[in-house]
Amino acid sequence: MPDPHAPDVLAFQNVCKTYPGQPRPALDDLKLRVPRGSRMGIIGRSGAGKSTLVRLLSGLDTPDTGELRVRGEVLGPATRAAHQARTGLVFQQFNLLAQRTVLRNVTLPLELRGVPRARRDALAREQLGLVGLGDYAGRYPAQLSGGQKQRVGIARALVTAPDLLLADEATSALDPETSAGILQLLLELQRERDLTLVIVTHQLEVVRAVTTHVAVLEGGQLVESGETAAVLRDPRHTATRALLDAHRPQVTLAPGETLRRVTLPDLTASTLAALTRSGARLVQAEPHPQGVDVWLAAPAAEAAPQPGAVPA
Amino acid sequence: MTWETLWPLLAQGTLDTLWMVVPAALCAQLLGTALGVLLTLTRPGGLHPLPPLFRALDAIVNVGRSLPFIILLVLLIPFTRLITGTSIGATAAIVPLTVAAIPFVARLVDGALKDVPHGVVDAARAMGATTAQTVFKVLLPEARPALIHAFTVMVVSLIGYSAMAGAIGGGGLGDLAIRYGYQRFETGVMFATVAALLVLVQLTQWAGDRAAARSDHR
Repeated sequence: MPDPHAPDVLAFQNVCKTYPGQPRPALDDLKLRVPRGSRMGIIGRSGAGKSTLVRLLSGLDTPDTGELRVRGEVLGPATRAAHQARTGLVFQQFNLLAQRTVLRNVTLPLELRGVPRARRDALAREQLGLVGLGDYAGRYPAQLSGGQKQRVGIARALVTAPDLLLADEATSALDPETSAGILQLLLELQRERDLTLVIVTHQLEVVRAVTTHVAVLEGGQLVESGETAAVLRDPRHTATRALLDAHRPQVTLAPGETLRRVTLPDLTASTLAALTRSGARLVQAEPHPQGVDVWLAAPAAEAAPQPGAVPA
Repeated sequence: MTWETLWPLLAQGTLDTLWMVVPAALCAQLLGTALGVLLTLTRPGGLHPLPPLFRALDAIVNVGRSLPFIILLVLLIPFTRLITGTSIGATAAIVPLTVAAIPFVARLVDGALKDVPHGVVDAARAMGATTAQTVFKVLLPEARPALIHAFTVMVVSLIGYSAMAGAIGGGGLGDLAIRYGYQRFETGVMFATVAALLVLVQLTQWAGDRAAARSDHR
């Protein structure tokens, strides 16, 4: 668990960004802190402002107003290079160079910094070994599977020994099994190297699997944030609830029945008995790292305005 | 004309053609690539948008490409004389051939660089790549197969242009075809010249396609 008194690695202070020709701001007065050593999930639907946030964090764009502080310093032309040197980026589409071998892809960030060839080759081979691709150095990206490409992307992101790793929809282009492997790898690397991990995603299961903290974006604004377990157990904002409800099971309800979700730390026989005492029936129990999502089909009389209740 | 008399003429014509085309192609590839990179960088939405410069370069490229080569050849006579000391002969023809090919290459290079995925360029920028590093480590190497293809197309065009340069005393296979085939009604020489040009073009295309395929790892 991150130290609650740890200094922030990232702090968005009233950040606004509007792109030319766009009627609405992409980010609207964003205030967000990412403590050192945390695993922050930034989740939102498409158009919520995630891509803009990534562009600001990677130094590709600057805020119109407000400040983005990185390791205590305002990110600007004078601090950008130092920030980029200590930040690793993992992308949805991997963004590997097709005409370079796997090894040359991983050495690229070092090459840009003028690290001598022998040194950068040694560092890159070490990283490739750590992501399980030690034997693939001479291959080209086109010869790899999606999961392998993303492992190369992760090796490339870590070759400069960053303290901040930014994963932008890193598993969105992968099948569920491969995604799980990549998330597990990110989790292990974060723990081993004491990294601050920022995962930008639209997938709730990614937030659940990996993060300690979550921030929910909607329409360019931060609508809810906090520790992942707390936010997902008791979501306050409709956007968060909508993300949770997107996982509602496909079930045929009897007339008058309502489907509702309860998130519990765990599901025991006694809690299940308590939940179903009033006539509700268990539809599905979905365990995840923060507990269990219990889906109940409740009779009409019980369809009270519970948090997380979904109209049938 | 017997084969014994035709053969040396054909060999000399081919050598003259190569002497015109090869240096012109190399110079044009260098300068055209530079111009193409400038177009890519300065266009709106490019890495260094400079709309006035972009519009000026774009206009120059368009004008250069729309001028018929035979007109350019005549227009450039003073410039050619300035550089080579003469406006006649194979060496003199290198100048207009280079000038004609530069905008052509620039347009092809601009197109090839535009096809490099945006995400790859953004990734390099986010890793801290300078503009020069982005151009030389990402854009040009990633576009290499397309650049080789562009070079091939340009060389084939230059072989055609070089035949036109022959018409104003540039020498080479075109000159041979005009002097013997057209002015002296030596149909045999005409056919032999056409055959030599065909072989040159085919060889160039074959070598270019092969090199592009070998360099493409996508």
